[in-house]
Amino acid sequence: MNATKITIKNLAKSFITFRGRVDVLKGIDLEIEPGEFFVLLGPSGCGKSTLLNLLAGLEKPSSGELYFDQELVASATGKFSGPFERDISMVFQSYALYPHMTVEENIAFPLTNLPQVPAPEVMSAKVRETAALLQIDHLLDRKPAELSGGQRQRVAIGRAIVRNPKVCLMDEPLSNLDAKLRNEMRAHLKDLQKKLGVTSVYVTHDQLEAMTLGHRIAIMNNGVLQQVGTPVEIYRAPINQFVAKFIGSPTMNMLTGALLEENSALYLQADGLRIKLPEATAASLRAKNLKQITLGVRPERLYVKSEGEQNLTLPVSVIENVGPEFLVYSFHKQGQIVVRTPEEPTGDNLNLALDAEHLHLFDEQGNRISC
Amino acid sequence: MTRETMIKNFLIFSTGLFLLAFTLGPFIWMLWISLADRADFLVTGKVEYSFSNYYQVLSAHSLHFLDYLTNSLIISTITAVVVTFFSSMAAYAVSRMRFPGRSFVPLLILAMSMFPQISIVGYLFEMFSKAGLINSHMALILPYIAWTIPIALWINMSYFTQIPLDLDKAALVDGAGRMKVLYKIIFPLALPGIFSSALLVFIACFNEFLFAIMLTIDYTAQTLPVGIALFQGLHGEIPWGNLMAASALASVPLVILTLIFQRYIVAGLMGGAVKG
Amino acid sequence: MASNNFLQNYDKGEVRTAWIFIAPLLLVVGVFVLLPVLGTFYSSLFLDVSYLPEHFVGLRNYVNLLSSPDFWQALRFTLAYTVAAVTLEAFFGIIFALLLNESFPGRGMLRVVILIPWAIPTIVSARTWQLIYEYTYGVMNYLVVNCGISAERINWMGTELGAFCALVFADVWKTTPFVVLILLAGLQAIPEDIYQQAKVDGAGMFRRFYKITLPMLMPVLVISLIFRTIDSLRMFDLVYVLTGGGPGGSTRTLSYLGFEAFANDNFGMGSTISVVTFVVAFAITLIYLRVGKFSEQLK
Repeated sequence: MNATKITIKNLAKSFITFRGRVDVLKGIDLEIEPGEFFVLLGPSGCGKSTLLNLLAGLEKPSSGELYFDQELVASATGKFSGPFERDISMVFQSYALYPHMTVEENIAFPLTNLPQVPAPEVMSAKVRETAALLQIDHLLDRKPAELSGGQRQRVAIGRAIVRNPKVCLMDEPLSNLDAKLRNEMRAHLKDLQKKLGVTSVYVTHDQLEAMTLGHRIAIMNNGVLQQVGTPVEIYRAPINQFVAKFIGSPTMNMLTGALLEENSALYLQADGLRIKLPEATAASLRAKNLKQITLGVRPERLYVKSEGEQNLTLPVSVIENVGPEFLVYSFHKQGQIVVRTPEEPTGDNLNLALDAEHLHLFDEQGNRISC
Repeated sequence: MTRETMIKNFLIFSTGLFLLAFTLGPFIWMLWISLADRADFLVTGKVEYSFSNYYQVLSAHSLHFLDYLTNSLIISTITAVVVTFFSSMAAYAVSRMRFPGRSFVPLLILAMSMFPQISIVGYLFEMFSKAGLINSHMALILPYIAWTIPIALWINMSYFTQIPLDLDKAALVDGAGRMKVLYKIIFPLALPGIFSSALLVFIACFNEFLFAIMLTIDYTAQTLPVGIALFQGLHGEIPWGNLMAASALASVPLVILTLIFQRYIVAGLMGGAVKG
Repeated sequence: MASNNFLQNYDKGEVRTAWIFIAPLLLVVGVFVLLPVLGTFYSSLFLDVSYLPEHFVGLRNYVNLLSSPDFWQALRFTLAYTVAAVTLEAFFGIIFALLLNESFPGRGMLRVVILIPWAIPTIVSARTWQLIYEYTYGVMNYLVVNCGISAERINWMGTELGAFCALVFADVWKTTPFVVLILLAGLQAIPEDIYQQAKVDGAGMFRRFYKITLPMLMPVLVISLIFRTIDSLRMFDLVYVLTGGGPGGSTRTLSYLGFEAFANDNFGMGSTISVVTFVVAFAITLIYLRVGKFSEQLK
């Protein structure tokens, strides 16, 4: 199978509304490799769906260019190919199944629009093959209204893959499923994409989906790409506070405050909470001569220690037992601080240690300080 | 039973009875007279009932009842079909495509429907006189199309906007052109709405009077309302029995149509009213 | 750059398809509504009667019209008729809608029956009312005399008041169903729990109507009344059949006056009346829309 590479060059999109001009996408540069499962992640309104629509050819860019392999498929002034010409397919959050057609007719619909409509037997065989792949071949005569959510989802996927598109686009396809089914379909989707090897772009606001599905993730906010990388890269080294908070659950703890030098140790003073920074971190911060920073640390990187070994001490507000582990919450002026620990803590206070390896430091603009 | 429920039940019963008498009274009176051999039986007290009025209306060629009926059916049907076709195309573009003017077009069309018929009909008469169209079916079909298309547009729009936009996107991605999306996806899904707009257009044309009386001359093109309005007896006295039989024949099909499809008609009226 | 961007946002092919889809509609409306309206305005500037050559007279038709007592009589009648008819329709509309919103045996049937007057062609119902109002053997006079409302028969079409009432009543009969349907939809949109809450709060039946139903129904009521007003202002067919404008020209609506001018081959004057009719209807619609907006802001 020849998979397609997508190249996005300086792509922008703005709308004129009654309130004025709205820039939905600003200067997006991105390369999506052939056969890659690429995830666009961001909060609602960040422009990820617009980017997907631009890739699909459902909207026209305001500036910039878009290539499928070497071929220019969209630019602001010149060429613009429609979705079918680009040979893409799309799965929608609402599934967008045609309610008046049977499952078979739904899946066959893209085939009936081909320049040369295949013979009925060929078409039927193709539909059956696709349906079998998705284990919905026993539902072909039903109408969408008679199907469960998961079955509809499969029909939508079937319709998207039946004509072997160059690129498969997915717009929050799992959001309408209940939690259990969502996990099941997630694994199924990943497996399917691997088998088919089709370049896929997947839009979601759910960081867990992004982490589990994507070969690479692009995180967007306010129409700007924040960071592109593998799930591990993004989790380990978020480029700014936005990314750091968006990825990971529970979210990364953040504390902002002034740096204080005391007894040859460096402290972060954050609204009544005093944190002793590990020596390695302190050394690199001293070299940079910063006064104010934000310290980020993931809940599982706060280690419960006995008195005397701690970097900080937190009052315990709430303890949640989530089965394999405990989540300890401490309410603080700057928001809650969460600690993930395998042992149920005792006492009113928690002594916590930090390790320099797993600290994230951000400057006043919210950008990562590399240590 | 509390006092309040007693009052309530009494009110329901009395207004219900009143409503029944109010709406059905004249209609029943029409049917009654159409079956009676004379209209003055309330005074004279003598009356016999038969279907002879109906027989006369349908068989007397000089009354041209069947001509009027045929004209009405032809004109209303053609108008409804054409209006449905044009208005659903326009409603599709306006409700689902992006182009400059998409919000302006429906308002313009709505404004056009504000003109009273009288401010159109005089000029139409001159236009059609020059074109030799006066007293032809065309002379009514053309203005009826223009006159009913705004309401059909608005009803269809209100139905089309209820269909998720994702279906269009999906169909476009699946390679269907706009026309195919309209006929394969939107049309079947909005069928109840399209049907109710077509029904309302048909009824409106069937009832229309001012255009019909100004733009037609005789039974070759005159519609039922004109025929019934101009219905005169031979000796000055109005033949009420015949007239009421003709009236019943003209309204019973519409009444039946309305009763069968009342759901669609109510929905259509609502769809048109939402535009306000 | 910004304005260029604006146009670039549209796909040329899509824009072309959209206009092709709209073209038939615009063409039909343009040729058979807009053009005649403009033509009528143009004709209103001419003296155009069959026995004289047509010639331009500027606004003289308008001057003549505005100084003719017939016009003011027609305007007065049209407005009085509209106010009376629309008020009664609102009154009966609310009562019937309230009734049909209650649940009781036979409600389904009544909801269907109420459509019958709406379905009957106006001309047919006008003819039926003509028979009902008949002086010697009409059922109306039969009821009037036998129920003791009046000792004498009433000559409905012979007196101004009688003709006025006859027209208004025939119109109310024919169009109340429309108002009922719209109001009923409005009533059904009011959530049931508000009523239950009001009951719990101790509000009686009439108080619930006055404090909850009526205010929440207001927007829908305004919409339906706008529709009815616009329609009543251009009323023609009932007058044509029932009174022929009489007695003594007292029941001519503006539309009827225009029709008379056209029928007498006075095209210039007919066009002038048509333009004025439109202006009156337009002005009243604008007032309504103002009032409607105003009530929206109040909420």
